[in-house]
Amino acid sequence: MSNKREREKRREERLQQEAKVDGGERRTRLLQFGAGAVFLVIVAVVVLIVANSGSESGGDASNLEGVSEIDSMVAGIPQNGMVLGDPKAKVELAEYGDLQCPVCKQFSEELLPPVIERQVKNGEAKIVFHNYTIIGPQSSTAGAALLAAGEQGRGWNYLELFYRNQGKENSEYADDEFLTAVAKAAGVKDIARWDQERKSKKLTQKVEATTQRAQTTYGFTGTPSFTIKGPNTNGVELLGTLSTTEEFESAIEAAG
Amino acid sequence: MNFPTEATLRRIIAFVAALGVGVATYITIVESGGGAPACLAGGGGCETVANSDYSHIAGVNVAIFGIVGYVLLLASAFFANDAARFGGFAVALGGFGFSIYLTYLEIFTIEAICQWCVASAVLMTILFLLNATRLIGYAGTTSAAVPDEG
Repeated sequence: MSNKREREKRREERLQQEAKVDGGERRTRLLQFGAGAVFLVIVAVVVLIVANSGSESGGDASNLEGVSEIDSMVAGIPQNGMVLGDPKAKVELAEYGDLQCPVCKQFSEELLPPVIERQVKNGEAKIVFHNYTIIGPQSSTAGAALLAAGEQGRGWNYLELFYRNQGKENSEYADDEFLTAVAKAAGVKDIARWDQERKSKKLTQKVEATTQRAQTTYGFTGTPSFTIKGPNTNGVELLGTLSTTEEFESAIEAAG
Repeated sequence: MNFPTEATLRRIIAFVAALGVGVATYITIVESGGGAPACLAGGGGCETVANSDYSHIAGVNVAIFGIVGYVLLLASAFFANDAARFGGFAVALGGFGFSIYLTYLEIFTIEAICQWCVASAVLMTILFLLNATRLIGYAGTTSAAVPDEG
């Protein structure tokens, strides 16, 4: 009887011992995995940061991108000042934007091209860009440079090219060198005239006036903001900021 | 100082992870309910961060990844086994590394700080430390071997 009890006791001790050894092995393995995971995460974070610091793009006057793409986007569409489209188009969509605004860039690259392709090219609508300078001092000088390009019928080339090559907000990239490089690449013929006009009171005051209108008259709080005018609207109607191409298309259809 | 019991660690992990779910959910709701993105005059840090290219990965708001991570961490606190210990540690480690990367982006690339993102980074750091303590202290033990006070 006592023998049996002793045997059971020994068996229990042996099982406990085995469990302890098992647990010890498992623990070592888990801690090794843990250390490996820490190493992998350190490598991943370093790689991400290094990759990111090297991908700084935009704002580079010596390497402008998208010239031919923009040329073909606006090819054959009349340009008058900052108006893109048939001057007799019934509907006028107006954008109030800031050249330094990254969201305006996104709109310009993603949302507006289908509208230009489907509703501006066929004369249904025209789009006009107005400066609403909210980001920083270079927004105003860039805005006047844009209007000066518009005086030579290359306003939309300038606008789109600026957005495609936009640098980081307020990083001082939009200097004279950058603005001039964009003008040349946008096809502004008389650069001397452009340079003179962009500094003129007429254009700098126009930038201020449209900013004032967007802010005070329309009460827009951000860029890009839009208005629309057509036979079916009650004068100028405020659209604010839209988020899809479909919203633009239906607004144009409703206004016409 | 006594080494905290696993039950205590699990309770604190659950609490901090629940706070994390709240913060990440708040960021997601505010960002998705804020209408179309726009550049705001003198934009606040959070608007700038939310409008930046880095706020989405493959079209998914990074705050959603945060919610998923915090929920997994919360779940790991309910089990006292090695899978939960290692799983919790791995998720917290990944979240911690991701937080370092996002904070780096905020400071050096976006150049704007969003206080809610900072709050999430702090919570994830605490969770990483707690889960590392839990793994080092209790890996390989069975739940019966640890007096569970909860």
